[in-house]
Amino acid sequence: MSKREIFMNSAFTENSVWKQILGICSALAITNLVRNSLVMGLGVIFTLALSSLTVSLIRSYIPKRIRMMVQTLIIASYVIIVDLFLKAFMPEISKALGPYVGLIITNCIIMGRLEAFAGKNSPIDSMIDGIGTGVGYSLVLIIISFVRELFGFGTLFGFQILGDWWTKWSIMVMAPSAFFMLAILIWIIKGPLSAKKG
Amino acid sequence: MTQEKKRFSDTRFYPIFFMIIVSVIFVGILATFYELTAPRVKAYQQESNQKIILGLFGLPTQAPQQAFDKFIEEKQQDDIVYYEAIQQNRLLGFAFPIRGKGLWGTIDAVVAVSPDFTKIIAFDVIKQNETPGLGGRITEKKFKNQFQNKDLLQNNELVKYNLVAEDAVEDKYEISQITGATLSSRAVVNMLYNELKDIKESLGVSYE
Repeated sequence: MSKREIFMNSAFTENSVWKQILGICSALAITNLVRNSLVMGLGVIFTLALSSLTVSLIRSYIPKRIRMMVQTLIIASYVIIVDLFLKAFMPEISKALGPYVGLIITNCIIMGRLEAFAGKNSPIDSMIDGIGTGVGYSLVLIIISFVRELFGFGTLFGFQILGDWWTKWSIMVMAPSAFFMLAILIWIIKGPLSAKKG
Repeated sequence: MTQEKKRFSDTRFYPIFFMIIVSVIFVGILATFYELTAPRVKAYQQESNQKIILGLFGLPTQAPQQAFDKFIEEKQQDDIVYYEAIQQNRLLGFAFPIRGKGLWGTIDAVVAVSPDFTKIIAFDVIKQNETPGLGGRITEKKFKNQFQNKDLLQNNELVKYNLVAEDAVEDKYEISQITGATLSSRAVVNMLYNELKDIKESLGVSYE
């Protein structure tokens, strides 16, 4: 597979959210504001890319039986780096995301890619796969949060878009709406969109 | 019978050895990164705390350090640390750091109280781990500003505010809660009551 194919495959064809239904928990939790989703997405891309690279580099030395421990340690380290970086340089966003940055560690997408791809492929390919998967995940977060923020708060990136006449949909602010949005998104992609391609 | 020499990577010690090495390397990286960012994080925290306390009294926050030195005095009585705000020889009030249990974790906040302890001047949140977009909205102006100039006394007793639905406040002892975050809203109201009660007792404030 060429590098481009790897990227397209992990970001779209085999998208971890709508194809593999992974990473749902965070897709529900932080998608009520576009800004939060964007930062969360960047955090996941960073963590995925670097932990894929690291695991791939040392893949032939990792003892099979403790590979999960090693992977978790590596993921956790990169996530803490992201957390510290946000605290030091983007304190406002760090405040808004609160505990969710730390929870990237438990995002099943990351461990899934390490197990499925980085453990068997070359470092550069693994990194591209990590970035691709992260981009695919971020895309979903941003689409969902776009709708939720617009209807729930009448804003986008915190700027007022819809005027006072708009009745805010409280349901959009709460987690259940993410279920509906996610389900609708998956339906659109797997139903009408896939059908057209034949 | 020939016995093949066992390689180190096949022994049972190898996983332990490997894990130790990987741990040491990554903990080392993290410790370095932490040390590098710690001063920034700490300076930011101190500055934002000073800004919050100044903001409670409506004092200028552009140069927090100078303004803080000029107007605010840190005091301690027993185990209670508090801040006295004085502007042109006039006591504006006291600011008390308070703490309470939120939905997910501890909420750290400050409340400014008038010198005679009968009114809340303002309230602000320093640190919270509530759900972003829901309970996290206790840090939004719309919620916090409700406490401005709020009466603290009802029949000479410290009042515990009643929570009512959003934008349905009818009397002066009511606070409108955040839709979808009842528990976080309640946590704030309870925290204010419990902490102010303790503070009042420790400082020996009485209304008779």
